[in-house]
Amino acid sequence: MASSLIPAGDFRTSYAVDTTIFPTVTSRNFAIAGVVLCALAPLVLNDYWMSMLIAIGIYGIAALGLNVLLGFTGQISIGHAAFFLFGAFTSAYLSSKMGVPAFFAIPLSGLATALVGLIFGLPAARLKGLYLAIATLAAQYILLDFFARAEWFSGGSVPATAEPFSIFGYTFTGDHQYFYVVLAYVVVSFLLVTNMMRTRDGRALIAVRDHYLSAEIMGINLTYYRTLSFGIAAFFAGIGGALYAHYQLVVSYEGFGIERSVLFLAMVIIGGLGSVMGTLMGTAFVVLLPEAMEWLSAALRGGVIDQTLALKNNITFVREIAIGVIIIAFLVFEPDGLAHRWHQIKAYWKFYPFSH
Amino acid sequence: MKITTLLGSAALALVLGASGAFAQSAIRIGHLADYSGGTSDVGTPYGQAVADTFAWINKNGGINGTKVDIETVDYGYQVPRAIAQYKKWTGSDKVAAIMGWGTADTEALTGFVAQDKIPFLSASYAGQLTDPTGAAGKAKAAPYNFFYGPSYSDALRAELTWAAEDWKAKGKSGAPKFVHMGANHPYPNAPKAAGEALAKELGFEVLPPLVFALTPGDYSAQCLSLKSSGANYAYLGNTAASNISVIKACKTAGVDVQFLGNVWGMDENAAKAAGNSADGVVFPLRTPVAWGGSAPGMKTVQEISKISDPSGNVYRPVHYIAGVCSAMYMKEALEWAAKNGGVTGENVKKAFYQKKDWVPAGLEGVCNPSTWTDKDHRGTLTVDLYRSKVSGATDGDLNDLMKKGTIKLEKVKTIQLPRKAEWLGW
Repeated sequence: MASSLIPAGDFRTSYAVDTTIFPTVTSRNFAIAGVVLCALAPLVLNDYWMSMLIAIGIYGIAALGLNVLLGFTGQISIGHAAFFLFGAFTSAYLSSKMGVPAFFAIPLSGLATALVGLIFGLPAARLKGLYLAIATLAAQYILLDFFARAEWFSGGSVPATAEPFSIFGYTFTGDHQYFYVVLAYVVVSFLLVTNMMRTRDGRALIAVRDHYLSAEIMGINLTYYRTLSFGIAAFFAGIGGALYAHYQLVVSYEGFGIERSVLFLAMVIIGGLGSVMGTLMGTAFVVLLPEAMEWLSAALRGGVIDQTLALKNNITFVREIAIGVIIIAFLVFEPDGLAHRWHQIKAYWKFYPFSH
Repeated sequence: MKITTLLGSAALALVLGASGAFAQSAIRIGHLADYSGGTSDVGTPYGQAVADTFAWINKNGGINGTKVDIETVDYGYQVPRAIAQYKKWTGSDKVAAIMGWGTADTEALTGFVAQDKIPFLSASYAGQLTDPTGAAGKAKAAPYNFFYGPSYSDALRAELTWAAEDWKAKGKSGAPKFVHMGANHPYPNAPKAAGEALAKELGFEVLPPLVFALTPGDYSAQCLSLKSSGANYAYLGNTAASNISVIKACKTAGVDVQFLGNVWGMDENAAKAAGNSADGVVFPLRTPVAWGGSAPGMKTVQEISKISDPSGNVYRPVHYIAGVCSAMYMKEALEWAAKNGGVTGENVKKAFYQKKDWVPAGLEGVCNPSTWTDKDHRGTLTVDLYRSKVSGATDGDLNDLMKKGTIKLEKVKTIQLPRKAEWLGW
């Protein structure tokens, strides 16, 4: 994918070069600069923009898990939101009822969610494609029903509360401080997954995706890797959910239906299947698109177009339709996702003015 | 992300520049409404009422002469939208208070509003929002959450109190059977524990709950279970569209049961949609009167209604009047805060504690006298129970149907619940 960036004649002559995380020095510097820029963001941005960045980070981690499953292993899950919510409830439960500090509760709930993911991933050993999709759809409903009934765990109709994140007696309050917690998790998660893709297990996942029969002939245990990939996906969903819980301080299962699971799918598909970087782009797109449409519709409100068409309150319907249309148009014109477009832009500038 | 950050700061600079001029001259408050989402059927009249009331306030002198800069945002009942909007309101130029809407936004924001000290007057009446200190131990403290009207639990308690009397009045023998119906969702479940506990206390036989989804559908199976269970009183916990499906299906199945609606589960529009199946459903109102009812304050409500309907002919459903009351309480709280140290979230919160049996000026007889204290946010424990009467076909315009009396809301009883400490917070 990144081949357009690597100079011609640059052959990989050692294993170390072949397995590097960043293909070029510039890309590594860019990644570091990006993290540093993000770390400086709270100095200039207000709560609204911080909350946007936090949302991108939290959903990005969860979407990354789904990308491992969907983009790297070629499996499907339409119950990702339920795993996300499971992580949120677990962390809330651990921190407020068991007295586990949020610092430990977040990774623990990631692990707990991974276990649940492994259980719901079991059908993947037998099912493929649409059949698997339906099986994972069941996970969504089973888990949501569990939350509705298990009042000791989720609080039932009363939202569960989570303790704020604190470390060495210092509590992270407000968006500006909590952002650093999310940023740390984003960096670690994305490095982890990028790194994992260089390992034997990561390559096995890709082999399963590309041709499961060949993979099996090569000695890859299909059942093991398919189920493992569900576990990994659920792990990151759980981490994302736990971060969400300690950000919001309350967790309610309102708004985590199937539509949220579809949004996670949208993030991964828009970003680019099988692209770690693309996951973040896709998440940013899905989080910011409704906001951008909101600014647009706010600008339209009361304007000439509004008055001539007598839109009034219907402007919000136009807004929602526009979001749908943009996503469809995006998939038609950009089926390989944002990551692909990003590479093309880079390639264009690299060869400028001799683009072909 | 880098690009969005850059774009963000540019957009932010614009927003700051644009809103800077406004900030000093007006009192900023936020208004979350649902005109397009899952609860838009009831969200529209309620939200319209809040918007109309503040427009009317601005026309009539504002808050001690200062205009209210209210930003109404249709968040489509989507949690992420509500959070983003909230962050916008608290980012640079903090709002003094927020007029909220339903379960989705209220629950998602409880933690934030307490942290940021912004009073949040919701139209979600969940019991846990009434406990500002957390002393009841049912949920975490919700010090900045307010609402006008009885909580979901208290409304159901009132209905059960009435049902017990009704059973006796009808001279029936044995224990009446009560069943809770609704989706497995925070909203229908909110009053479940409270209802079933009181039902047992009042001598009802409590049947296992019946589940039906929040969306309209085919609920014949639920009606057959209802029929075979022999329930006498059934509480419908869902919102109107779904409840209508059930009462229609049960009418077809020939179930003989007294339905008890909830505050968002039945209104004039729902009665029109359900037709004669809705005949006889008992449900709670947050106000002693419905549209056009005889009360000194009804004139003010009609004046406010003219903001969005200059003809004055449109019939406003019960939610509109509740919305007017909610907005007027907020108005008077803002007034008090402006006179006592400035319109900040903390002062607005304090303002809610200033009066006993508080009725907003001009709305006498329309809003039930309410008392909020720093330990108890149950504003009112008065529940006005109404029965929907449908006599004939309900096609056509709601205005005509109400005028002709095809659909009527008939007062059943006003229940005054005791302010029991053990009922606080659930």
